[in-house]
Amino acid sequence: MLTHMHTNKAAACLVFCGFFTASQVLADAAATPQDWIDRMGNAVQATSYEGTVVRVREGKVETFKVVHTMTDGIVREKVIIQDGNGLEIIRNGNEVHCILPDRESVLVEEWNNQSTLFSTLPSSDIRFGSEYDVLIKDFERVAGRKAAMLAILPHDNYRYGYRIWLDTETGFPLQTQLIGEDNNPLEHVKFADISIQENILASTLAPSYSTDNWKWYTEPRQTVKHEVESDWIADKVPPGFRVVSTLQKTLPDAADPLTHIIYSDGLVTVSVFVAPVTDEKKAGRSSVGASNSYSTVIDDYRVTVVGQVPQITVEQIAKSMRRSR
Amino acid sequence: MNEAIRMQVSAFVDGELPDNEADLLVRRLSQDADLRQQVSEYLAIGRVMRGEYTVQGGNALRERVAAELEERPLQEPADTVVAKQPSRYVRPVAGAAIAATVALAAIFGLGQVADVDNAMPETAIVADETVSETVPTMNDDDLHQYLILHGYDSNSFSTRVTSLQIRADELSGEAAAEDPEAEDEVEVTEPVTSQP
Repeated sequence: MLTHMHTNKAAACLVFCGFFTASQVLADAAATPQDWIDRMGNAVQATSYEGTVVRVREGKVETFKVVHTMTDGIVREKVIIQDGNGLEIIRNGNEVHCILPDRESVLVEEWNNQSTLFSTLPSSDIRFGSEYDVLIKDFERVAGRKAAMLAILPHDNYRYGYRIWLDTETGFPLQTQLIGEDNNPLEHVKFADISIQENILASTLAPSYSTDNWKWYTEPRQTVKHEVESDWIADKVPPGFRVVSTLQKTLPDAADPLTHIIYSDGLVTVSVFVAPVTDEKKAGRSSVGASNSYSTVIDDYRVTVVGQVPQITVEQIAKSMRRSR
Repeated sequence: MNEAIRMQVSAFVDGELPDNEADLLVRRLSQDADLRQQVSEYLAIGRVMRGEYTVQGGNALRERVAAELEERPLQEPADTVVAKQPSRYVRPVAGAAIAATVALAAIFGLGQVADVDNAMPETAIVADETVSETVPTMNDDDLHQYLILHGYDSNSFSTRVTSLQIRADELSGEAAAEDPEAEDEVEVTEPVTSQP
């Protein structure tokens, strides 16, 4: 009798669990790419987690220990770079402390926005169908969790593509790949392990060092920053890019203010920096990781364009800049 | 990558995979660039997690696959090449040679990660062929400054972290300049352990 009851319960449980799992699969399968992106947008803001992130690019592997919480609208993060100089980044709201253990120094910076470490994606501004297509390609496991893989495919060579693996339970991005020309992964950021949980102890976010007697650098990199109207425009930007912000910044040791124009296609941002020429250098291109830059001189101003986009894009934008009056 | 492949790779790296299975694994990897990428990441991540910077068995596997690729005509599907794209200015000149090089480099990034302790990204300055007769490069300090500023306004994890890495490196330089006796310490890197 007892055995029979156990059997019935087990059968009921199997039916229920099977139904739940099947329902979940159906729900996941029915979700549109936009549904997933919306879920991701919520998840990167609201999810608290800690884990290990691995970044692979240009043949180099870097590992980061990361903790992220969101409490009462305040983002708190801790990132420890496990290689090199062991840089530790502690974020409490807008204030960011970069701790350099080798130098026993702390650099204080300010981030004037609510973006989080993993807000790689996009706002509703992105115009899927115009510059990119997005589709769900696969379901597989990442960091031990089931994930849906989204492929974001650019329509032209002016931008990179992305593959993003989203946790099916929370929508959190567990893995991202930046895809270059001919589908080459240029950069790979992946959680090797992750623990998603609501209650992360405050002590987990504390610095690993007692920094009271260390040297503190509190001078911000940019002393003044405000929105301005600029007379610099680009005649021929790649399709879909438009100005989203124009800032004027005064940098330490700089005699003249720097104009910073930010272009976006809804997914990626490209920065245009305009400053009076102070040296004899004419033009050049460079790259750091998957970011490219191009610098040239126009009307006695140095115009430098930087972004995580192909070289052709920064070059075209730089060369098409001109003063409108 | 399924569990069977994962186990085969592990066994190969440990020198425990029978020869006939090793041959099959090498052949399969030589024919499937996606799988090579997955195996590369699997080995690289495992190595990082174990705190190892070299993996002899991984190198052996890479060499075997490279040898296999050299023996057969290369038919690399356009969407499966894994390594960093060669310069578009080079490709028309080098053609098939570049394709073969990319495919070989793409076998594993493993051979290139021995310098994993060099976390600070290098700024690669590339000459501009259209202006190279004037002054082909820009001032590194300016570029670093712009990369930092761009990173602050970026919504990409990678870009923002890189921006802070550059800023921290800059700060290290400033601190060293202020404290000449500490100059030698710039090269010292010690592993950092997060406190619970």
